[in-house]
Amino acid sequence: MTLKKLLCSAAIATALATGAHAQSDGWSLAKAAEPYKGTTVDVVFLLRPGYEAIEAMLPEFEKETGIKINIIKHPYENALGEQVRDFVAGGDLDIALIDLVWIGSFAENGWIVPVDKIREQYPDIIDPDLDMADFFPLTLDAFGTWDGTVYGLPFDNYSGLMFYNACMLKDAGFDGPPETWEELKDTYGPALTKDGKYAFALQSKRNETQSADSFARVIWPFGGSFLDDNFKSNLMSEGSQAGLKFRQDLMQYMPDGIVAYDHAETVNAFAQGDVAMITEWSAFYSSVVSPDTSAVADCVEIAPEPKGPAGRKPALGGFSLAVAEQADEAEKAAAWLFIQWATSKANAKEYVERGGVSARQSVYNDEELAKSKKFIPALVESWQEGVPEFRPRFAEWPEITEIVQEWGTKMMLGEVSTEDGAKEIGTRMEEVLDAAGYYDGKKPLVQ
Amino acid sequence: MRGQVSRRTTLGFIGPAVFGLAIVGIAPLLYAVWTSLHFFNLTKLARVEFIGLENYWTVLTDGVFWQAMGRTFFLLATALPLQIALGLGIALLLHQPGLTLVKTLARLSLVLPMATTYAVVGLLGQVMFNQKFGVVNQLLGGANINWIGDPTNAFAMIIFWDVWQWTPFVALVLLAGLTMVPGEVEEAARLETNSWWTILRHVQLPFLLPGLTAVLILRTADTLKLFDMVFTLTRGGPGAATEFISLMIQRVGFRGFDQGLASAQAVILLIITIILARIYIRVFYKEV
Repeated sequence: MTLKKLLCSAAIATALATGAHAQSDGWSLAKAAEPYKGTTVDVVFLLRPGYEAIEAMLPEFEKETGIKINIIKHPYENALGEQVRDFVAGGDLDIALIDLVWIGSFAENGWIVPVDKIREQYPDIIDPDLDMADFFPLTLDAFGTWDGTVYGLPFDNYSGLMFYNACMLKDAGFDGPPETWEELKDTYGPALTKDGKYAFALQSKRNETQSADSFARVIWPFGGSFLDDNFKSNLMSEGSQAGLKFRQDLMQYMPDGIVAYDHAETVNAFAQGDVAMITEWSAFYSSVVSPDTSAVADCVEIAPEPKGPAGRKPALGGFSLAVAEQADEAEKAAAWLFIQWATSKANAKEYVERGGVSARQSVYNDEELAKSKKFIPALVESWQEGVPEFRPRFAEWPEITEIVQEWGTKMMLGEVSTEDGAKEIGTRMEEVLDAAGYYDGKKPLVQ
Repeated sequence: MRGQVSRRTTLGFIGPAVFGLAIVGIAPLLYAVWTSLHFFNLTKLARVEFIGLENYWTVLTDGVFWQAMGRTFFLLATALPLQIALGLGIALLLHQPGLTLVKTLARLSLVLPMATTYAVVGLLGQVMFNQKFGVVNQLLGGANINWIGDPTNAFAMIIFWDVWQWTPFVALVLLAGLTMVPGEVEEAARLETNSWWTILRHVQLPFLLPGLTAVLILRTADTLKLFDMVFTLTRGGPGAATEFISLMIQRVGFRGFDQGLASAQAVILLIITIILARIYIRVFYKEV
């Protein structure tokens, strides 16, 4: 009897995990996918843990649906260019992988299909358990929505978190991580920077890392922002300048050559025990707690990012998946089925267990999961306070980020002052926005 | 017929090559010129419009473009003399009589750096010049030199790799030039003087000039096009310390997606390359 119960439970759990469960109205993934059996869906994936997690789960989807998912892997830096060229040329991609800062461009160019249009066009493939309200509102709004229209479902979701080496902190006399950025600099910095070890590392390499992980990370908590309400530069404001100057001061507690540190170098420095604290994306959790990749796995603890004078305002990043407009009818349906499956409530737990970070609120109610993944409480807290326009998401961001990357790095190197650098970025940023038509009313002030 | 091949036969032989060249070389160039006269941003294709020479004006008045150009020529001015000096030294050593096997092995090993893919050189650089774990700092007695994150050091690192990769090319071209010197002329010169400099200047150099001119033209063009190695090694950073002209064009065209402006930059770069090539030929080649 007990064995029978156990087997029944296992069968139900498996069915739930694969998303193969039949709904009360008889909907099932296999049945919905039946007309699209044999369709191949092309999608770009990044070389990151969340993608590996879905890739490992993929055979179940392919077996059940008969849909083949063709994954084209690119490092982050190439992913935008590859997709833009594919969409411009009317290529093969059936799904768009959208970083939150690309969504304005993808939507304005008509490269992606709104979710409502999919619902309207293919009512039979919509999972009754789709439950859009279960996504953290911040992630659905920032990663998948543009100008009030939902295009993508949050797939690879990040919030900036503070990873700290509790052993190093304890040795230096601290019971826990700093609550504020000022505390990090003034108290933890001097105590933890010694003997070739550093208190903190802020990844600042001249690419999107400089803009998103370094520059934006310091302006928001200090009350700054890229743009004011009129879309003019806000980088000369008191808050923005305070944040940028804070970053300059904090550099004394970071390793030399921090402007050459990308995510890999930063996570590695932390994992090797050379740096006591880093603020990194939640997606790197699995790397720092695995003894295979981290020498300090047992000492790693996670907290939300420190607060600034304007509040916590943690870094926000993440990707959604949307159906590509250029796909044919069968490919669009198959693409949606995959997106829906990959971001489903039913698969969220397995996705997280395999190293992904789901945007489903319901999965984080699972106590067992929260115990095994220490980042969950901090992540949930961070997603309550994030700023959707942490980086402006309009189509002009690819041009603006290049300007921020160049002058942000120059500031850090001391080649220009924070004022001169901010002025330069502001002038150039406004030129880009002016040419795009934001100042003469041709484009709405949406970011 | 006058014993010559017919016009049709000549066209039959040359035509495919010209056609092929037109397809792979001239057509893209013409397209780039067309693009450079338009506002042409891949993410704003609804706004493509003819804007005349506006992109060219933007490029010519853009300080960042000229800074990148200046950086590129500074690299050329530092790396190329080093490559020529070291390459000439190696060529002269290999031109000495005797030690045939060693010289053959040396010639073979000279090909290796050239055969290494640019991007691989960049990745090698990332590993070897890593501040903490890199072999370069270890060889310098455990020095803690920040190579990649310091603007001056990063530039020096680029020079090092360019010299490492392309000195062998210069050496092999100059060695080929040295083998063109008639043996009896060189022998007679050696009987006249013991000065290697006199022999080099008056006997060997005239035979080296065609190769040297080719080296100048090819290396100048290569330096202006230098991209892969720097992109994988420093990505133009830190700051803009190693943002050479090709990296800038790639950034504008493929990261900012402004194909019109990037095409204008590329056309200007092409014009500069052609002018330099003409100057090299006029200044050096006429002395032969």
